[in-house]
Amino acid sequence: MRLLAAEVLKVRTAPRTLLGLVLGLVGLSILGAASVASGADETPFGEEDTRWDVLAVGSTAGIFTLILGILIVTWEYRHGTITQTFLATPRRERVMASKFAVALVVGAVLSVICVIVVLVTAAFWISVDLSGSQWRMVGRLVLGAALWGVLGAGIGGVLQSQVGAIVTVFVWFLVAEPLIGVQFDRFADYLPGRTLDRLTAREEVAPFGDGGWSFGIAAAALLAGAYALVVAALGTASAVWRDVN
Amino acid sequence: MIEVENLTKRYGKTVAVDDLTFRVSSGRITGFLGPNGAGKTTTLKAVLALIRPTSGTTRVLGHPYRDLDEPVRKVGAVLETSRYHTGRSGRNHLRVVAAQSGIPRSRVEELLELVAMKGPAKRRVGGYSLGMRQRLGIAAALLGDPEVLILDEPANGLDPAGIRWLRDLLRSLAQRGRTIFVSSHVLAEVEQIADEVVIIHRGRFVAQSTTTELAARVAAGVRVRSPDATRLRDVLFAAGMSVNRLDDGALAVTDGSPERVGELAAANNIVLHELAAEKATLEEAFLELTGGETTS
Repeated sequence: MRLLAAEVLKVRTAPRTLLGLVLGLVGLSILGAASVASGADETPFGEEDTRWDVLAVGSTAGIFTLILGILIVTWEYRHGTITQTFLATPRRERVMASKFAVALVVGAVLSVICVIVVLVTAAFWISVDLSGSQWRMVGRLVLGAALWGVLGAGIGGVLQSQVGAIVTVFVWFLVAEPLIGVQFDRFADYLPGRTLDRLTAREEVAPFGDGGWSFGIAAAALLAGAYALVVAALGTASAVWRDVN
Repeated sequence: MIEVENLTKRYGKTVAVDDLTFRVSSGRITGFLGPNGAGKTTTLKAVLALIRPTSGTTRVLGHPYRDLDEPVRKVGAVLETSRYHTGRSGRNHLRVVAAQSGIPRSRVEELLELVAMKGPAKRRVGGYSLGMRQRLGIAAALLGDPEVLILDEPANGLDPAGIRWLRDLLRSLAQRGRTIFVSSHVLAEVEQIADEVVIIHRGRFVAQSTTTELAARVAAGVRVRSPDATRLRDVLFAAGMSVNRLDDGALAVTDGSPERVGELAAANNIVLHELAAEKATLEEAFLELTGGETTS
């Protein structure tokens, strides 16, 4: 509990970083929701469909919580405070566990903020009275963002370099995964980025005209959870074994 | 209190610490000396479980650091690399450290007072001078009121007044029974406060002794000045002493005592203008032990 409180305090007392992330997220959410919702009149499918599209903007939080997860671990290495942290808690696995917990919770909170901002923004143009399956999608968005946070913290633990970790995730999720997708169509669905996309996607609709997803929501949740766990375990092992210089 | 046993740490082909063994006893100030790159920081980091030894063991208060319960309340450390999240204020930095160890916030204010950092405490660490950062690091190390204090080059970045403040602080802590292990490449810093020194060089153990013993280990000399220096030199030389003429005309005599030099001069009717025992300083001992390498 004490470690958790300390981790939360670390996030809270680095106001610029957190504020930057939240402002960026809120800004993008407003922009995305406004551009989707304001086009409601032009779509032939009406408001119901627009509401789904607006909700999809809620997945914006994922990239922010991924970066936040990375920062929670790597800023300690970057600023050298990891020394003090490990001096206070030489059982490094405990430090990492509390960082994962904070990444999970803060990720979920950022996602909730994102969904609220998106819905409030959209309400200027359309009704945001969500259906049952739409509320479930909100739940999946929050779960997805939380898992992105853990994934980020795990990657941070493995690489420890802030720039290295951020470059790596951008290259992986924006370049490598799409390229693998082009090459091995179905296999790519099982990669972490696509799995998390599946988790936060609209249940019944295919992403591309022909195929649809390779597996259902429940499977996506399990697989995404497994990815988060494995990466978190690797990140912990790396933090425990490597010297602090 | 602090035990290092057969500690070896390799980085690739470089051997930073080579089969090092020593023990720092409790309730006193022990200096940890060696030229830059001797392996001091590596040794301290191994003691604090920040790096994994290639082989060997380290213990603090009888246990590996990793196994200490609430280590911040037992061992305080100020490392050369003490660094901060520059966006955080000094006070918040201490609060984070305190929170990690369940130390009450009121203690943060006490420490800010002690290191005279109350004023700048609410400013971001990014704007601090090196000396202020060093004070903040010392405050962080003392938060848990630890029995053992380990400091790596704490005087770096401190101005003369700061160094004096640090010396007084360490002395008062030692008087209250704390064990202090302080590394330095500048002997003069340690000489004045340490009861004992451990000297390493190129990762290897060189010597451990009290500061007075250490100075005594280096042959002491006699300084003698006479208007009849040439004859005096011959007399002393004939008595088996080695004599060198110094720039100011005086003679530096080794392998002889002031008494013996005085007696020989009197027996030979040589007038002396000056006769003094030259104490070897710790600096000379240090230089001799570490092969005369310059220390900074």
